[in-house]
Amino acid sequence: MFTRLLWKLLHASRGRLVIALVALVSGAAVISALLNLQFDIERKLTQEFRALGANLVIAPSHAAQSIGSGADSPALMDQAAVMSQLEKMRTQEVVAAAPYLYIIAQVRTKPVIVAGTWLDEATKLAPTWRIAGSPVASREDATSCLVGRNVAQQLKLAPGAQLELSYLGRTARITIAGVVDVGGAEDNQVLVNLPVTQDLAGLTGQIGLVQLSVNGTPKTITSYAQRLATSLPGFEVRPIRQVTEAEGELLSRIRLLILSMVLLILVLTGLCVLATMAALAMERREDVGLMKALGGSISRIVGLFLAEVGVLGAVGGLAGCIAGVALSHWMGQRVFGTAISARWEIFPLTVALMAGAALAGALPLRRLGNVKPAVILRGE
Amino acid sequence: MATLVHVEGLRKEFGNVRALAGVSFKVEEGEWIAIMGPSGSGKTTLINILGGLDTPTGGQAVVNGTDVARLNEAGLTRYRAEKIGFIFQQFHLVPYLTALENVMLAQYFHSTTDETEAHEALVRVGLKDRVTHLPAQLSGGEQQRVAVARALINHPKLVLADEPTGNLDEANQETVIQLLRELHNEGHTILMVTHDPALGCLADRRIDLAHGRLVQVARVAQTL
Repeated sequence: MFTRLLWKLLHASRGRLVIALVALVSGAAVISALLNLQFDIERKLTQEFRALGANLVIAPSHAAQSIGSGADSPALMDQAAVMSQLEKMRTQEVVAAAPYLYIIAQVRTKPVIVAGTWLDEATKLAPTWRIAGSPVASREDATSCLVGRNVAQQLKLAPGAQLELSYLGRTARITIAGVVDVGGAEDNQVLVNLPVTQDLAGLTGQIGLVQLSVNGTPKTITSYAQRLATSLPGFEVRPIRQVTEAEGELLSRIRLLILSMVLLILVLTGLCVLATMAALAMERREDVGLMKALGGSISRIVGLFLAEVGVLGAVGGLAGCIAGVALSHWMGQRVFGTAISARWEIFPLTVALMAGAALAGALPLRRLGNVKPAVILRGE
Repeated sequence: MATLVHVEGLRKEFGNVRALAGVSFKVEEGEWIAIMGPSGSGKTTLINILGGLDTPTGGQAVVNGTDVARLNEAGLTRYRAEKIGFIFQQFHLVPYLTALENVMLAQYFHSTTDETEAHEALVRVGLKDRVTHLPAQLSGGEQQRVAVARALINHPKLVLADEPTGNLDEANQETVIQLLRELHNEGHTILMVTHDPALGCLADRRIDLAHGRLVQVARVAQTL
């Protein structure tokens, strides 16, 4: 009989309840989309930040970041020692790790910064590089290079052209594979594979620093940096603060924003249900008076109405969840360029939140407890 | 016969208005009592107190050994469910429940529902073909018959009827009167408020109220 009554109640007030249901479905859709985004935002943002480039640097203690002259610069590291240790410590969070050796060489008597690195790994470090021409696919290729956009403009260089680099009386002739447009320091550099700069500088097996791109939250990046520093004594391992701090701050701000919006939507949904239920409570005074006259206890009667609201919240929550998954999918495509995968734990959470909001909105039903059957049956 | 209702010095005041001013009477089991009097004489107040819908200001109203005046809210709820069957002038059926469901609603608040028994109750009042109809699809007489079936479904000790034919046309009045006769013949105790002298004549006894006071309690034959 309880289910029968519940269905009849829902059916009888369907006009009013549809308004509450629309509010619940809309609220649930936005909340589930936001929660889905909230759960996935860390992964998406870290992916986005990884596109910005390295977030960890290994350098000699008190390192200078480039060498201007002489093979006996103290600010150098042994490539084999550092890279082999790094390989041992490599986890799946490490997106890319590239050694660097910078020199200032001459091109047609003009000084140019030449960055020797592993060009295949460097493009993984910063996947947003735009290359006109072709990338250099192998780190062993000593005859190809990439040229920064500004360097190419100043020296009137284009892909396919020959470039002669001179340094301390040594020269290297290389072909320009592509021109890179980074929007950063690399626009002013010539990027070659590491052996080219090592040969020009006479620093075989030496590197100036290593840049790493590590996936994860600022906390996990710092933790990985600490473990790396322990295994590389005598070297300085430090996060690039601007990147990690910006990442952390943005994450916490987005989280706060999402949680505030979820709370706001819950309150608004609850208020909409409240308005509907207040009207419904007035409408049902006569039914309640009669039910009381027939011997219905107030707990049993209000329990019926609360079950009605609970069902409404659950149905609204579930329908809204399905819409919310589609919404988050769309938001993911728009904001991050990739779909946000549905998190199934969102479903029970949203349904529970909606049922809670609906029940909170059902507070006016408390008034029904005060209904005097004699007064109602007199038609007052 | 045993006394089913014992009312002693019953008073009810609504602010400064005195609706009942020390009413006393007894009703035996199986009796059909007509409560009569002009508007504002306290008839409905009396029946509401006996039905546990209202509480008295003073005095006592003992029904089947239970003093209604001493019951709390929960006690009154159980009392209404277990001992009283109401028949109202305005029928008071739940508009979105079928005739069958309206009868079953009384069962639901009493204990458990029994669809077969509810169906039989409707057959008994001549509504065999109207069980799945909503109140709006029934005539006034049919609605009142549903109300009678609902009032009897839990086998109450006392049937309280407030102007049971007041809202019906002549043909339907006759049907409901016939039903009340049958109930009386089966041994039900009926307390009926009515303005209709013809209906009042069918009862065993008549209680006349005026201004909240009992004017006379008499055998119907004596009043004719």
